[in-house]
Amino acid sequence: MKDTPADQVRLPRETKGKRPRFFDDPAIDQMMTFMLELTTEVAVLRERMDTVERLLEERGSVTRAAIEAYQPSTIVEAERNAWREAYLKRIYRMHPPV
Amino acid sequence: MVAQPSDIPVPNIEELFRPTHDERARQGMVSFIRKLAIIDMRRRLKDDYENRIEPQLDREGRKPADWQAIEKAMAHEHVYRFYSAVRYNAQEMCYLSVQPAVERALPAMVGLARDLAVRNPAGGSLRLNPQLELPKYITALDVHLTPGWVHSEHTADDVAQGAVVSFGGKVFTGQHPYRKRAGVVGESIAYWIRKKYPNFAPRRILDLGTTSGKNLLPYCTTFPQAEVHGIDVAAPVLRYGHALAEHEGIAVHFSQQNAEQTDCPDGHFDLIVSSFFFHEVSLKATRKILAECKRLLAPGGLMVHMELPDEASVSPYENFFWNWDTHNNNEPWYTAFRAEDPVALCTAAGFDASRSFKTHIPDIASFGEERYERFMRGELPSPAHGAGGWFVFGAERE
Repeated sequence: MKDTPADQVRLPRETKGKRPRFFDDPAIDQMMTFMLELTTEVAVLRERMDTVERLLEERGSVTRAAIEAYQPSTIVEAERNAWREAYLKRIYRMHPPV
Repeated sequence: MVAQPSDIPVPNIEELFRPTHDERARQGMVSFIRKLAIIDMRRRLKDDYENRIEPQLDREGRKPADWQAIEKAMAHEHVYRFYSAVRYNAQEMCYLSVQPAVERALPAMVGLARDLAVRNPAGGSLRLNPQLELPKYITALDVHLTPGWVHSEHTADDVAQGAVVSFGGKVFTGQHPYRKRAGVVGESIAYWIRKKYPNFAPRRILDLGTTSGKNLLPYCTTFPQAEVHGIDVAAPVLRYGHALAEHEGIAVHFSQQNAEQTDCPDGHFDLIVSSFFFHEVSLKATRKILAECKRLLAPGGLMVHMELPDEASVSPYENFFWNWDTHNNNEPWYTAFRAEDPVALCTAAGFDASRSFKTHIPDIASFGEERYERFMRGELPSPAHGAGGWFVFGAERE
């Protein structure tokens, strides 16, 4: 492993250790992973769209390079955080306990 | 920030980490999922336990008497299952969300760390020991669900795990109300020491299990006259930490050593500290390390370790909450460490019982100086561990 050149290192994505199961059916544990990843990916898409909208408002045009270079101001970051919080609240609508 | 001794700017290894737009968005969202679990769902879990589950069990004559009984009662509740699943996945996602950008930055990071280890522009040092045998409690599991944990080396002079732990940690604490900045634990302890022992001026300071030294740097600011040392068994985090400290212009002496048995002379240090350390080593190692602290501390010296509150210091419900990590966050020594009385551990290591202590201290970033004065006068209690305060234990050397 130590012989791998630094530009070719691929870090391990899985952890060493037994994965716990929280549900009776392990498929639900797996579904939770899918769901949380998907929740995150939707937020990523939404943020990209938000960047596009803001760039269009400011400059009237947009390029991929401009999206990559976009640095949100503190105000924009605060707005995005408020969106993230509200977004999660909408998704994780727990049923009342029975 | 301390001024650089030379005019040549020392690059910041952390600025080499350049996530794409979408990676940054992902990291930002993961911080909120982590907060959803550790703040919102945790609150809901407690409310549900106190208002529904416990009263119901009580009516049935089966009110849980200890944390194990609470855990058993909770295991089949939806509220617990979803809390656990979100918390576990969020933990994994913290590291997954930073790994691609670390991979891209790795050649430059390795190059910079290598260069700084030779130049030491701030006057620190890095001493590695490739022969050091890594303890099993480090290698058996990937602690905190960090793939590769702190010790794995993927390339020559590797710093990758230092970067993964550092940036994953930023995602982890990104929306946490009491983890405002890296090193806030060290900052809180250093502040407390200065208030409690105003005449204490340590000549040498040692941080155990320092990883990349983030909780060590605040001591350098508080005690600028001290020579500062950090030890860890894992080379990647030490290399990374050394590069960080050199950039900050702070002289820290990092060395790869096992805290159970160091190569430092007797009575070499006036202050020995650690943060989030003992619960990650075996209980056997904990006893050895505290005995080593006794050997290393100079007369009149002080030892302060930030740790999880021990079982006897908190309620059965809190014990249930804290011990979750044992099996679900790959921290197998967590429950066993918490079951011990830290003061008894200190006395077993040879410290005087009347000079050993355990207590809560305020988190300096969230508590405020005015309230701190009232805390020092005994008019205000410290917030609980993880909720605006930190649990510490230690001893004064007679």
